Amino acid sequence: MSAALTLWNKHMTKLLSHGEEGFGVLFQPILWVVLFGTGMKSVMASVMPGDGDVYMTLMVPGIIALTAMTGAIQGGLTLLEERLLGIIKEYLVAPIPRISILMGNAMSTITKSLFQSSIILIIGILMGAKFVGFDPAGWLGGLLLITLFGLGFAGIGLAVASKTSSTGGYHMLIFMLTLPLMFLSNSLYPLDSLPTWMQIGSKVNPVSYVVDGLRQTIFDAGSNFAGGEFLPLWLCFLVVAIFAAFGTLLSYVSFKKSVA
Amino acid sequence: MSISTELAIEASGLVKRYGDDVVAIEEVALQVRKNTIHALLGPNGAGKTTTISVLTTLIEPTAGSARVAGFDVVRQAGKVRQRIGVTFQEMVLDNDLTGRQALDYHGKLYSLKAKHRQDKITDLLRLVELEDAADRKIKTYSGGMKRRLELARGLMTSPEVLFLDEPTTGLDPQNRANIWDYIKNLKEQSGLTLLLTTHYMDEAEALADQVSIIDHGHIVVEGTPRELIDQMGADTIRITGQGDNTSYIKNVRSLPFVQAVNSSEGLIQIGVDSGNKRLAEIVSLAQGDDFTIDDISLTKPSLGDVFIKYTGRQLRDI
Repeated sequence: MSAALTLWNKHMTKLLSHGEEGFGVLFQPILWVVLFGTGMKSVMASVMPGDGDVYMTLMVPGIIALTAMTGAIQGGLTLLEERLLGIIKEYLVAPIPRISILMGNAMSTITKSLFQSSIILIIGILMGAKFVGFDPAGWLGGLLLITLFGLGFAGIGLAVASKTSSTGGYHMLIFMLTLPLMFLSNSLYPLDSLPTWMQIGSKVNPVSYVVDGLRQTIFDAGSNFAGGEFLPLWLCFLVVAIFAAFGTLLSYVSFKKSVA
Repeated sequence: MSISTELAIEASGLVKRYGDDVVAIEEVALQVRKNTIHALLGPNGAGKTTTISVLTTLIEPTAGSARVAGFDVVRQAGKVRQRIGVTFQEMVLDNDLTGRQALDYHGKLYSLKAKHRQDKITDLLRLVELEDAADRKIKTYSGGMKRRLELARGLMTSPEVLFLDEPTTGLDPQNRANIWDYIKNLKEQSGLTLLLTTHYMDEAEALADQVSIIDHGHIVVEGTPRELIDQMGADTIRITGQGDNTSYIKNVRSLPFVQAVNSSEGLIQIGVDSGNKRLAEIVSLAQGDDFTIDDISLTKPSLGDVFIKYTGRQLRDI
């Protein structure tokens, strides 16, 4: 465990000396919130009940999910770089449990992902998204959802990072996974209006669950798009937790096969 | 005292096979006594890195066994790792950290306490003369500086055995000489055992107490550099001189240790078993003759020549 902490510490030190990288990931999500959100606010005001802020409130959780997802998968790049540059060899000949290499990476990935998500959260609130005010249970619940969600994607990212042999392939993964997952969910529009195949896709997409979960915990949306129902909160937690377990298991198996 | 307690590294029958086709090393055996420097000499692709990867517990052998610092590399890998230091060929340093940070994190990984780490870092930075650069990022270091830092890092944990994979590849002559000095001093002053791999014969000759020559995954011969080179015999003594050399040549030919004599236009080439040993006799044989020697040259064989003798090829990068 202390080896994992040492590695986490090392990654954080490196991140701090490389601030720009951490913020680069935020560029797109900030665009989404500020430009797309503001633009849609006025459009939506004419078709949705209440003021334009309702759309922002419903949309920001989706952008948080996008941020968490992207940040988490990008975290896998640290492991990939360490593998490709041979830095991982230092860890492999050290008397530490090999799994702490994976854990250290997972921890730094989650830390980065949480940090980035929090920034988007704050910006979203500043842009008008309604949050729940002083409700510790709500905030904790929401943060737990984001953490578990991030853990799932961190796991997927780390699994790929354990096996792949170039950074190009990894970037492809990020590119091809994140936006489709966001569109195939209830982040930006109500589920009911989607064609059946998209509805089915959205129902098996963990993004939909973390988004609806956030809408009911940290954010105060009242109701879903067009007055629709939210996915039940308990279900949101369950699906996201299962997803986290899946990601963790996947990364463990991949890592063990490649290294241990 | 049995032999094994004197051996810092012992390996026998090491095989590493990848899939069905690729055999990286086969029947590799090594016996390295404590507080010696052992060199594994061979061209690129010979299996040096594979061998060292097995001994440092990075990979498991397909067959065979090895013990390092008294522990089995497969079954007691953790105990081996606690007692070894490794420097890698490609210098696996983290460019974003400072030298000091790299050493510190390394010490933390090995659970060294803070004070101990600080003391070691101070000593090692002084040893490798990187005190001034310690708080600069590694990406600003020259190749020689990185090698020295890598060496310091390998020593951070006071290992019993230090493995060096191609420690001077890519360095200029001055840096090479520096690293050689550090290595020699380490052995003298700290009781350390060192195993280094290299494709430079001068490095093996300069540093090693024992050399194992490896080619195509097999150890082809082993011994002290002196033994191996002396075995070569075939030293060439070249003599030019004045006067009638006919009877001189006849006398030289009759010497039991002379393997060949050629002459053309005043140059006599004599192949002997050992130039070191025979030079004096060859020269004294010319006294009292009509023949006087003007010039003598002696070409000594090197480990490169030993390599040719055992493999039929030259020791160079493939």
